[in-house]
Amino acid sequence: MSGGAITNQIRTLRFLAGEMSQAELGQKIGVTRQTIAAIEAGKYSPTLEAAFRIAEVFDKPLDEVFQWVKGG
Amino acid sequence: MPYREKSNLLALAAMLVAYVPYFAIVAATPVESAPMPNLPLLGLFAAVSILRMFVLGAGYLWFRVRTPDDVREKADERDRDIERKSMAVAYYVLIFGMILVACIMPFTHAGWSIVNAGLFAIVLAEVIRCIVAAWSYRRSAA
Repeated sequence: MSGGAITNQIRTLRFLAGEMSQAELGQKIGVTRQTIAAIEAGKYSPTLEAAFRIAEVFDKPLDEVFQWVKGG
Repeated sequence: MPYREKSNLLALAAMLVAYVPYFAIVAATPVESAPMPNLPLLGLFAAVSILRMFVLGAGYLWFRVRTPDDVREKADERDRDIERKSMAVAYYVLIFGMILVACIMPFTHAGWSIVNAGLFAIVLAEVIRCIVAAWSYRRSAA
C-alpha cells in the first residue's frame, strides 16, 4: 500500500463562509467542536458520511474539501 | 479538554485510587492458605469498590455542575471510534489475563490467589481501556 495523507480545505472554507466557527460546523453535521478541530488539523479522518456532510454544508464537491496527497 | 477525555481520566483516577492500595495489600499478604471465602479480603474489595464508585460519583457531579453543556453532548463518530479502539485493546488484555487465570494458574496456585489474579486481570483491562482512550483523545487533539 502506497503512503499518503488526507488533507482538507475546511479552515479556508469556514473563512469563506463568513468565518463560520468550528462549533457551528460541528453542530451542522452532528459532531463536536473538538472533532472538527481534529479533522481540520488532519489528526482524525472523518467517516465518508461526515465528509459528505461537510462538503454539503459548504456546497462543494467532496474533492474540493478533501484531497489525497501521495507520499514519497 | 473534551468531556469524554476528562471522564476517561476520572475513571482511570478512580480505578487507581481504589485498586492500587487493594492489590498492594494483597501482594503483601499471603492468602494462599486462607479459607474460602476469605471474608476479610472480600470485605476489603467491597470497600475499595465503594470508594471507586464514590470518586466516580463525585467526579461526575463536579462535571455536571461545572460544564453542564459538555455533559449533555452526545458521543460523536470520533468518540465512538476511540471507544471501539480502546475496548479492543482492553479485550485482548482481559482475554490474556483470563487464559492465565483459568488455564495456567490452577496448576501453580490455589484458592484466593486465583480469585485475586482474576480481579487483577479485570482491573488491568479497565485501566488499559482508560489509558488508551485518554491517549487517543490527546493524540487526535488539535
